[in-house]
Amino acid sequence: MTSVRTVDYNAMAEDDFRSTARAFFKAHFPEHLRFIMRRMRWDDMKDWYIAAGREGWLAPGWPQEWGGLGLNPDKRVVYLEELEAYGISRTHEHGVVQVGPILMKYGTPEQKNHYLPRILSGEHIWAQGYSEPNAGSDLANLSTTATVEGDHFVINGQKTWTSMADDATHIYLLARTDKDAPKKQLGISFILADLSTPGISIRPFDNICGHTEFCDVFFDNVRVPIANMVGQLNQGWTVAKSLLSHERINIGSPRRPQYALKRLETLARSRGLFANADFVAQFTVIKMDIEDHTSLYGKYVDKLKRGEELGSDVSMLKIWITELWQRITELLIEVGDEWSSVEGQQAIDGMEVDILSPYYYARASSIYGGSNEIQRNVLAKYVLELPS
Amino acid sequence: MLADSVADFTTRRSPVERMRRLKGAPPGYEKALWKEISELGWVGILVPSEHGGLDLGFPEMRMVLEGLAKTLVPEPLCATAVLAAVLLRNLPSGEVRDRLLSEMAGGACRPVVAWQEAAGSLELNAGGCRLDGVPGAARLNGRKQFVHGAAGSDGYLVSAMTAANEACVLWIPADAGSVKVEHLLMADGRQMAGLGFEHTPVVQEHVVATGLVAKQALERMRDAALIMIGAELCGVMRGAIDLALNHLRTRKQFGKPIGAFQALAHRTVDLFIQLQLSMAVVDEAVKALQRADDDRTTQLASRAKARCSAAALRITRETIQIFGAMGFADECDVGLYVKRAVCLSAWFGNATFHQRRYARLCIVGKQEAS
Repeated sequence: MTSVRTVDYNAMAEDDFRSTARAFFKAHFPEHLRFIMRRMRWDDMKDWYIAAGREGWLAPGWPQEWGGLGLNPDKRVVYLEELEAYGISRTHEHGVVQVGPILMKYGTPEQKNHYLPRILSGEHIWAQGYSEPNAGSDLANLSTTATVEGDHFVINGQKTWTSMADDATHIYLLARTDKDAPKKQLGISFILADLSTPGISIRPFDNICGHTEFCDVFFDNVRVPIANMVGQLNQGWTVAKSLLSHERINIGSPRRPQYALKRLETLARSRGLFANADFVAQFTVIKMDIEDHTSLYGKYVDKLKRGEELGSDVSMLKIWITELWQRITELLIEVGDEWSSVEGQQAIDGMEVDILSPYYYARASSIYGGSNEIQRNVLAKYVLELPS
Repeated sequence: MLADSVADFTTRRSPVERMRRLKGAPPGYEKALWKEISELGWVGILVPSEHGGLDLGFPEMRMVLEGLAKTLVPEPLCATAVLAAVLLRNLPSGEVRDRLLSEMAGGACRPVVAWQEAAGSLELNAGGCRLDGVPGAARLNGRKQFVHGAAGSDGYLVSAMTAANEACVLWIPADAGSVKVEHLLMADGRQMAGLGFEHTPVVQEHVVATGLVAKQALERMRDAALIMIGAELCGVMRGAIDLALNHLRTRKQFGKPIGAFQALAHRTVDLFIQLQLSMAVVDEAVKALQRADDDRTTQLASRAKARCSAAALRITRETIQIFGAMGFADECDVGLYVKRAVCLSAWFGNATFHQRRYARLCIVGKQEAS
C-alpha cells in the first residue's frame, strides 16, 4: 500500500501548496457535495474518500510510509483551511484522525500493518465507541465491561452518540477492564472491534434536524481477541487522550460557521436588510466577532508554524467560535421572520434556503468535542490556575 | 527585555497605590516621574533618531503603554509620545517641527495634540475651528475639546481649517496668553481640558503644515492613537484580571476559595477570552500600522478600539461582581480599573462608535456593491 511519493510538500511555498491542494479537491470532490450542511453518508462520500486515500490526500498528517502526505503541522493547518474553503465536510474521518495516529503511537506492528492500509483504502470505516448513556462529559464513568476469558475479551454494555455507526465496519471503544482500580480512569482499556462480530447490534436514531446521524451500539457477550487491544491493559484512558494538539485547533477554526453566515448574508440581502440600521448593527457585531476570532486563531496557527505544541488554552477558540456560530443562526431565524417557521428547504424572495438546519446544527457545536462547560473547566484549572 | 524594564519600573516607581494617591489633584500626574520616563527614552520611542529619539516602532510603543497601563500609571504618555510624535514625524521638516521632536525626546518640552471638536466624532472640522487672516497676521478661532494631557503641558498642536478650507496644524505655546483653558477632572482622577481660541494670533513659523500633508498626518495619528489606546486598554484588562484571579484564589466563602465555584470560574474564563481576543486584534493592528498598510490599518484600528473598549468595560465591571461588596468600596483597587477603562473607552470613539464606523468602511458599501 505504501506508495512512493516524490513531492516534498513541506518544502513547498505556502501559496503553491494551497493551489496544489485546491487543484486536487477540484479534480476529485463532487461539485454538488460542496458546502452541504447535513452529515454526508458513505454512499455520497466513498468515491472522494477512495480517490483521496489512494493519493495520500485523505491523511495529510500521516507519514508518507503509511500513505499520508507527511505534512508538518503548519501545512496541515493550510490543508484544513483549503478543505474548509472548498466546502468539503470531514466525514468518516475517525480512522484517519483517531485510529491511525493512535495506532502509530501505541499499536503493535501487526495492528499497524493490518489496519492502517485498510483505513486509507476505505475497506474499514471506523466509528467511535466512547459515550454511553451515563458517561458523557464524565466519560471515565463508563460502564461497558470487557472481561478476559482466555485470549478473548467478552464485552457487554451500550455505547451511544456513535456517529454513523451504520456506515461503519469497525468500532474503537473504551471499556472497563478493572472495576477495582483506585481511580476510575485507571481501569479502562482501548479495544478495536469488527462491527460484524456476533452480539453487536446497532440502532440508528435521528438528530434534532430529522437526519439520521447517530446510533446506539449494543454489546451482548461480544467476543473480541485480546490482540485487538491497543496499548497496555487498563491504560486505555491515556491512549484515548493522546490526540495531538494540532487537531484540537481545527475545532476552533473561524470557517466553521461559514455556511450559516453565508445564508444569513444572502437572506438579509434579498430581504433588503442592509438598508436597515438595526440589522446592520447586529450583523456588524457578528462580523467583527468573526474577524477578531480570525486574528486570535492566526496566533495559534503561527505557533504551529514555529513548531510549538499548543496548550490547553487553545480550547478558548472552540468556546468562542461555537457560541458565535449559534448567535449567527439566532439572527438568521430572526431575519427569516415567518419563513423561519416553515420546515425544510424553501424559496424565499427568489432564493432556496434552509433556515432551520443551521440553527439546529449549531446547537451541537457547543456540546461535542468536550462541551463548552467542560472546556471552561479546563481553562479555569490549567490556564487561569483557579482552585477546584 | 523592554517588557521586563517596564514591569520593573511600575513595581518600583508606580504601583497602583500611586494612582490612588494622585487622583483628583491637578495636574493628575507628577513632573518628576515624567522626567524619569523621558530619561528612559520611552517618550522618544517613535521620534526619529536624528531628533534624539529611539526611533523604534509601534510594537515597542505598544509594549510600554500596555505595561504602564497595567498599574494605571497616570503620566500622559500616549498624548505626547504617540499623538504628538506621530503627528510631527509625519509632517514636513521645519524649524518648529524639528525642535518640538528634539525637545520632546529630550524631555525639555511636552506638547499635546488638540484635534477634537465634538463628542462622538473623529472628523477634523466637526466644530469649525478656523485659521483666518493673512500669513503673518493669522488668527485662530474655535474650540477644542477633550484634550488629554493638556494640564501642565508646554503647548498644543492644534488642527484647524484654513480660509481655503485646507487642513492645517498649528503650534500654540501654552504661555501664548490668549488661550482659554478649561480643565476637566476625568472619571479616573486624571485631567483633560477644553481649549478656547478667540482671535488667537498665530505667527507664520507656528503654522507647522497646511494641506494634504497635514490631513494625512492627522489621519495617521488617528489610526495610531486608536491602536495604542487599545494597547493601554489591554494593560488595564490584564491588571483587572490579575486582581480578579488573586481574589478568586484567596477569598474563601462556604469553606473554599470562591474560584472553585463554577459560576465564577466560567465567568472569569469568558473575561479571559475577551482579553485574548483584544490582544490578538491589537497584535495584528500593530503589524499593519508598522507596515504603514493604510487601508488595512484603518479597519483594524476600528476593530481594535471597538474590541478593547467593550472588553475592558466588561472585564472591569465584572471584576466588581467577582469582588462582591468589597468591589463597590472606593478603597478597593477594582474601581480604579473600572474608571480608567471608562476613560480610555470613551477617548477617540467608544465601541458602538467604532462598530458603526466599521460598518461604513466594510459592510454597508460592500453589500450594496454585491
